[in-house]
Amino acid sequence: MLFTSLPFVLFFIIFFLLYWYVFSGNLKLQNVLILTGSYVFYAWWDWRFLFLLIGSSALNYILGIYIDKSKNEKQRGFLLWIGLIQGLGCLLFFKYFNFFIKSFISAFGVFNVKADIYTLNIILPLGISFYTFRTISYLLDLKSGKIKPATDWVVFFSYVAFFPSLLSGPIDRPKTLIPQLEKKRVFDYNQASDGMRQILWGLFKKIVIADNCALFNAEIFDHYKTLPASSLLFGAFLFTIQVYADFSGYSDMAIGLANLLGFKITRNFNYPFFAQNIADFWRRWHISLTSWLTDYVFMPLSVYFRDYGKSGLILAILINFTLIGAWHGANWTFVFFGFLNGCFYIPLVLRGTLNKKKKAGGQSTLKTFANMAGMFILLMFTFLIFRADSLSQAFDYYSKLFSPSLFSGFVITEKLNTAITLLCIAIMLLAEWLQRDKQHALQIDAIKIFPVRALIYFGLIFVILSFSATKNADFIYFKF
Amino acid sequence: MNRSEILKTVNEVFIDILDDESLVLTEETSANDVEDWDSLNHIQIVVAVEKQFKIRFTSQEILSWKTVGEMISSISSKLN
Repeated sequence: MLFTSLPFVLFFIIFFLLYWYVFSGNLKLQNVLILTGSYVFYAWWDWRFLFLLIGSSALNYILGIYIDKSKNEKQRGFLLWIGLIQGLGCLLFFKYFNFFIKSFISAFGVFNVKADIYTLNIILPLGISFYTFRTISYLLDLKSGKIKPATDWVVFFSYVAFFPSLLSGPIDRPKTLIPQLEKKRVFDYNQASDGMRQILWGLFKKIVIADNCALFNAEIFDHYKTLPASSLLFGAFLFTIQVYADFSGYSDMAIGLANLLGFKITRNFNYPFFAQNIADFWRRWHISLTSWLTDYVFMPLSVYFRDYGKSGLILAILINFTLIGAWHGANWTFVFFGFLNGCFYIPLVLRGTLNKKKKAGGQSTLKTFANMAGMFILLMFTFLIFRADSLSQAFDYYSKLFSPSLFSGFVITEKLNTAITLLCIAIMLLAEWLQRDKQHALQIDAIKIFPVRALIYFGLIFVILSFSATKNADFIYFKF
Repeated sequence: MNRSEILKTVNEVFIDILDDESLVLTEETSANDVEDWDSLNHIQIVVAVEKQFKIRFTSQEILSWKTVGEMISSISSKLN
């Protein structure tokens, strides 16, 4: 059930009606509905892993109760470790087991020793990286006294499985979502209509821009060995736009759906393409993941390494970013992608520009755009590693990219569709630039004339219906 | 040293590290209220505060602060 599919639309309409018209009087029943709906949604994808989801919710719920009850610091630590081992253990097993085995085998291969180890055929449980991070932050926050345990098990199980953000985030923190589940939700027309508009914007980004970019760049990446370098550059450009439109479009839909149910969930993107430097970019990209790692990994590490000055800070950054990379999956490409992003911080730390930021307004518009363009070029080359199947393929792509044919005209098979896609990309970037101080591009209440606003909404719906890609690609972040 | 004197000194450290002369802290100020006070600067502030007061915080203390006031309580408990 993709958010963009007919079954989901039907599912959500039925859910919405039951939620607001049948169960709205009773908080407990409304939460039971959220939980049931979330499990139906999850089982639709793969019912087998529903048991894993329920099992980890149950274990972490019970651990939470005992961590809160216990007065003995050692016992609390022990309970926390059980939760961490379960969560990280499942993550390591399902996500990284084959990766370790394969890396182990190839390491042996170097010494011409043939290691006869079988890899297991492990299927990744959908959303595991996202819901595991929720259960872990719940236990860590409980242990450090930042939160109280959830009032009942339905609340906690719904927090772990909340369907708008179950499969690809945003990774909500307990202190954001749990209090909202414990409090009666009241239908707010403004919030719901804002949710609808954010869903519309997300749909545009996903099915018009991301899916079309996916079609064109797949063509380029599949034949990169024979295409001129200029086409490869174009492929890198399309992929960078695709990742953003795909994931931020998904996040927009998730946030919009939550708004329709009266929830305010964590913002995941803050116009990352307008970032002025790498630190600024990571404050704006996949915010719920980076802030999670900042709180639970980077901060403790930087405190721990604080006596080593700048090198301590750099080491904490490198570890943090390598983990961000590895979180995406079991492939050296992701690990290297993360590590490289960490390396980009080194000049900022060494120059001391982290804590001597230029105040907004003190910078010319030209400089702002130059910084944005520089960042985009850097991203284009880094996301290539993210896209490649292996590091050797990424480097092969680079070597083909930096050749004299970079300055030749590029080959385009579908000229009209490419032109339309480029036009839509320009519309997206322009709209987001104009609306950069808003939560999403369609918060256009400043336009007081209703027909103009209506024209924008219907225009966008028309574009979505006319130019959606012929093939609906899966969301990139579903596989993480 | 009383709390308001500690606050004054802490304020000077913040001004120096964040390079913002106009910064005025209160006990209730949190990282959300100060634009440049982020995770990357936080650790530099902590080190500078430790140096200024010639004290040493534990990791748990540093990670538990939510406001400037809580930081001042930690400092105060070590000075007195």
